Amino acid sequence: MKGLFWVGVGYLILLLFFAVFGPTIRHDYLNPVASPLQPPSGANWFGTDEQGRDVFARVAYGARMSLIVGFSVQLIALVFGTLVGIIGVFGKRWARDPLMRLTDGMFAFPDILLAILIIGVWSTGLVPVIVALSITAWPGVARLVKTQVATLKDREFVVSARALGAPTTYVVFKHVLPHLTSILLAVAMVDLAGTILAESALSFLGIGVTPPTPSWGSMINDARAYINTQPLLLVWPCAILSLTIFALNFVGDGLRAATDPRNR
Amino acid sequence: MSATLAKNLGLRLLYALLSLLFISFVTFVADEISPGDQATLLAGEKATPEAVLRLREQLGLNRPWGVRYGEYLGGLANGNLGNSFHGTREPVSVIVNRTLPMTVTVATCAILLAALIGIALGTIAAIKQNRVADRTILILSTLGVTIPTFVLAPVFVKIFAVNMDILPSGWSSQLAGPVWMYLLMPVVILAARPTAQITRLCRASMIETLQQEFIKLARAKGVPPARLYLRHGLRNAILPVITAIGTNFGFLLTGSFIIETAFRLPGIGATAIEAIKKGDTPVIQATVLIAGALFVLINLLVDLIQPTLDPRIREAQV
Repeated sequence: MKGLFWVGVGYLILLLFFAVFGPTIRHDYLNPVASPLQPPSGANWFGTDEQGRDVFARVAYGARMSLIVGFSVQLIALVFGTLVGIIGVFGKRWARDPLMRLTDGMFAFPDILLAILIIGVWSTGLVPVIVALSITAWPGVARLVKTQVATLKDREFVVSARALGAPTTYVVFKHVLPHLTSILLAVAMVDLAGTILAESALSFLGIGVTPPTPSWGSMINDARAYINTQPLLLVWPCAILSLTIFALNFVGDGLRAATDPRNR
Repeated sequence: MSATLAKNLGLRLLYALLSLLFISFVTFVADEISPGDQATLLAGEKATPEAVLRLREQLGLNRPWGVRYGEYLGGLANGNLGNSFHGTREPVSVIVNRTLPMTVTVATCAILLAALIGIALGTIAAIKQNRVADRTILILSTLGVTIPTFVLAPVFVKIFAVNMDILPSGWSSQLAGPVWMYLLMPVVILAARPTAQITRLCRASMIETLQQEFIKLARAKGVPPARLYLRHGLRNAILPVITAIGTNFGFLLTGSFIIETAFRLPGIGATAIEAIKKGDTPVIQATVLIAGALFVLINLLVDLIQPTLDPRIREAQV
């Protein structure tokens, strides 16, 4: 398992470089650079798509999109979910109860159904996708933080800090949150995989990132029409998406195992 | 039925009811905040702002939202979901009646397939723990959990429809063969992730059960293996698996959006995606509402089935 963790970390670092430099290093990702549906060659490493655009650059831009959506959503969900979770334990009753009922209610919606509703009545595009997926992602974080904080609340160091008259915000930032960073990091890694999948699914359905901006999901959808003539068009985004999901799960599981006190 | 059980069931029912109310409220609010309403649409593009205002008054859209939410709920209770914004302004309930059976058929077949294969593979893996069969099943289930539906769909089409040419690549209005041929690939692909999850869960639950004292006792007594694993083991291990079937049904509903789009199946998921692309708010609302309501009801059903399967829950405190 430890080997898989480091393979995952290595892959993700490569993916980051790919996302930053890949889209423009050799060819532009938006405009045709050669004749359409070419197999891989020295000029176009992954070949060209139905419009003659460089597939390498487009897959790399898809990586950029996935990571932008994934990190934004996880950051928003972490901040908001942690806040709600802490209010759920330390908050005043008037703030705590409605927020907790809202958190419970959010679990009534399966998977990305709520995201589909939000995009449906609002619009497609990068910002609606990030907002919609953030709204579906925070309740999980809130519930996790709430249960973790609830157990920390009664530990000696928190009780004594409060007995000494420390204000709640100080106790939260100084004594409670530091205990949560490792488990939240591990969970965020696995959730990141879920967010990237959701973004690709929305783009595959044609309600995600707006074309011609490339996304793995929309590339997979477009490539289905050329499954006979150029099946490689399908292989690149499918393979890189699947590998990314694997890597994030390995890294997340590894982090979780490393932060689990039972394994020390 | 004991008093605690009745209280427990009452709480479950209440929770399901509140969930349904919450879902209906969210779909109602979604319409409120969406740009453009029925009045602007009905008045047409050339209407003056005054005409739109007048129409809004006629339709009762200027009344407080509380009143209109009550009306919306009343309409839902009577099966009135409003009218589509487009085409012949077909009632949404008609659209739902036409498309829902397809989605429910595919999702039900998929969950049955997933439960059957998942429980079988999970049990085998648990019995053969750490042997080749177990390792193979674990690797397959990891693949099943991580590879997304929309990657599996084109790969399956390439293999079975294009290369081998034994299954149709998608639905068409004129079917050239029996219906099951058109539904086979969608059902199998949709079942992939739930199968993998149920397998993993069933394996873990079964391994835990097989370490219990009563299994050792039964083995020492000479209970034959088939009876030992099925009657003594699986019957105790199956509860978390049943819960997982309920939560997986939620995935199947959203998964059906993808599978119906990929195979052009005329179901509620494909209808929802079409509606989003056309900006047809009443249809979007209704499809989300119905998918959400199904999810709540299935999970309620699972909660209600559990006590009949496990006497420990029947006796348990709330």
